[in-house]
Amino acid sequence: MLEFDGLRKSFGANQVLDGVSFAVRPGSMFGFCGSNGAGKTTTMRIAMGLVRPDGGEVRWQGRALDQDGRRRIGYMPEERGLYPKMKVGDQITYFGRLHGMDGRAAATAAAEWVERLGLAERRNDAVEKLSLGNQQRVQLAAALVSRPEVLILDEPFSGLDPLGVDSLAEALLDQARAGVPVVFSSHQLELVERLCDSVGILARGRMVATGTVEELRRREAGRLLRVVVPDAAPDWAAQLGGVRVVSERAGDTVLELTDGTDDQAVLAAALRTGRVTHFAWQQPTLVELFREAVAVPTTQEVAA
Amino acid sequence: MSGQSTLSSASLVRLVAAREIATRIRDKNFVISSIVIIVILLGALGFQIAISGGDDESRIGLVGGGAGLEQALGQQGDALDVDVTVVPLDDEAAARAALEDDDVDGVLLADGAEPELLVEESAGGPLQAIVQGAVGQLALADRLAEAGVADLDLPEVGVRALDPDAEQDDQRIGAAILGVSMLYGLLILFGQFVAQGVVEEKSSRVVELLLATMKPWQLLAGKILGLGLLGLGQIVVIAVVGVGGAVGFGLVDVPGEVVGTAIAVVAWFVLGYALYASIFAVGASLVSRQEDLGTVLMPTTLVLVASYVVGIQAAGDPGGTLARITSLVPGLSPLVMPVRQAAGDVALWETALAVVLMLVAIALVVRLGGRVYAGALLRTGGRTKLREALAAERA
Repeated sequence: MLEFDGLRKSFGANQVLDGVSFAVRPGSMFGFCGSNGAGKTTTMRIAMGLVRPDGGEVRWQGRALDQDGRRRIGYMPEERGLYPKMKVGDQITYFGRLHGMDGRAAATAAAEWVERLGLAERRNDAVEKLSLGNQQRVQLAAALVSRPEVLILDEPFSGLDPLGVDSLAEALLDQARAGVPVVFSSHQLELVERLCDSVGILARGRMVATGTVEELRRREAGRLLRVVVPDAAPDWAAQLGGVRVVSERAGDTVLELTDGTDDQAVLAAALRTGRVTHFAWQQPTLVELFREAVAVPTTQEVAA
Repeated sequence: MSGQSTLSSASLVRLVAAREIATRIRDKNFVISSIVIIVILLGALGFQIAISGGDDESRIGLVGGGAGLEQALGQQGDALDVDVTVVPLDDEAAARAALEDDDVDGVLLADGAEPELLVEESAGGPLQAIVQGAVGQLALADRLAEAGVADLDLPEVGVRALDPDAEQDDQRIGAAILGVSMLYGLLILFGQFVAQGVVEEKSSRVVELLLATMKPWQLLAGKILGLGLLGLGQIVVIAVVGVGGAVGFGLVDVPGEVVGTAIAVVAWFVLGYALYASIFAVGASLVSRQEDLGTVLMPTTLVLVASYVVGIQAAGDPGGTLARITSLVPGLSPLVMPVRQAAGDVALWETALAVVLMLVAIALVVRLGGRVYAGALLRTGGRTKLREALAAERA
């Protein structure tokens, strides 16, 4: 279990993190969402020992992370960084060695990754001569070369074309399937929704929502039911008990049900009007959940 | 987890150092600058040989004349500090051939009524003086003999040296100046390498990835150590080539003294490099772009230039107050003390004090600078102030 426990951090008067806690199971993918400046990068940097927290700690397998523990983490910083004049193969090997591999193992693993990411022909080129997309691949290889036990990736998908997104997603899913807990931050919420087992939404220095997307939907979205009854009169649902009509247009009706209202009674009422072409609980997208979660409660409070 | 283990500080530092060395020796600029330094050194040696060795020897052909003339030429040579070799030749034709072959510098034709000096273009340097002196001496002896004066005993002038070691001192000071100049050049060069490396890691943001696996001081130590070993290697090669060349070509009389000076220069390089490289690295950590490097390094570079100037001045007046004081001041001492040591009037306690002060300064810079470095490394964009860096490290 990778646990972030009660992280607090302020830079001067600016309280960036105010008790951030969440846990990631081995083999699961955790999507870390939040507005710009919400503190995602600071949280990840604390895990990597780059920022000292004012309080709280990050644990892996029950032990607080130290330098040796961090060596078993693959990390991709938000600001990509490689030695521009170093050759691709040498560079990946070097990062393998910094993560504790011996020279031969690092060289072998680097060669494998170069091959796997389709960079075999560029292996002896300086990184600065590569396209941005290829530099991203080298960056990924530098994070994965040492076969890390944990992956922490800050905005790994930013700047990738759709094909690049797909191949990176595939690589991360491979890692998760192999039992590695993967934490990544992203603004591409459709992607997070598609890939992640669980999601955390950070706002104003706190985790305002964590859980599976399904759980968030249930918790955040209320009980909205969409019923499409083309032949019904506009006010067909007005008389039903425990039901509020949110919208109605040519039979396409969105209803909000109070707790304890039987959705089957609603279905029966709908069937009485004629054909029912659609009957389903409304699925709010993660984007909608996100908007709701990070919405500033009062006008005075400014998102950190 | 195959082939993986925990890394000690030493192995991390070694990894960083090995990368620095591998990167530099593949760098064209470094290779070219190293070759240029060796070429300049060999050029300087060659120049020394040319100006000091050119007049040492003179080959004079002799046609006719007796054993007396040959002996007289040798004596004149001794008086003028020229090693004269007399080559007996048969006639003028042989003399011309020998001249054309550059076998001799000039030929004295002593078989005719009037002695004549045959040369290719002109009688350069001491050649004419030697020949004139020898012929004159013989003629004088002949006339005296004719006049009945024999066994003329001319008094010989004895030489009493007030400072018999002066020439030796000059050689050692010369070696020290040369050594200090090389030292100055290498300190600037390798200080720049360290600074550029620090900024490169910052501007390319690779430093964040590095610091996820190691502590700032390990990165700093590896970088300084790696480049330092390379610099040390270079100055040792220079010392060996320089001293070896000077001794081998007979430019110095007492090899032991010059070797001692060379060792002192190398030792002071180690101390000077440790101090300046640390300061350069810390300064460089405050900026994020190579363009801003000049500004933050300027004060330190000025101190280096000043100590070089003082060092050269100390060669002229090694016992002066300025030299005595500056040879103890940390930062200045690496470029002044070797010169004073070469001049030979440094008490042991002075050297010891200079070394101790230098070590204290290095310890302070590494301790304080390490904190600045750690605080400034992850602050990109613009220039970080010293105070901010220290505060960030504590945060």
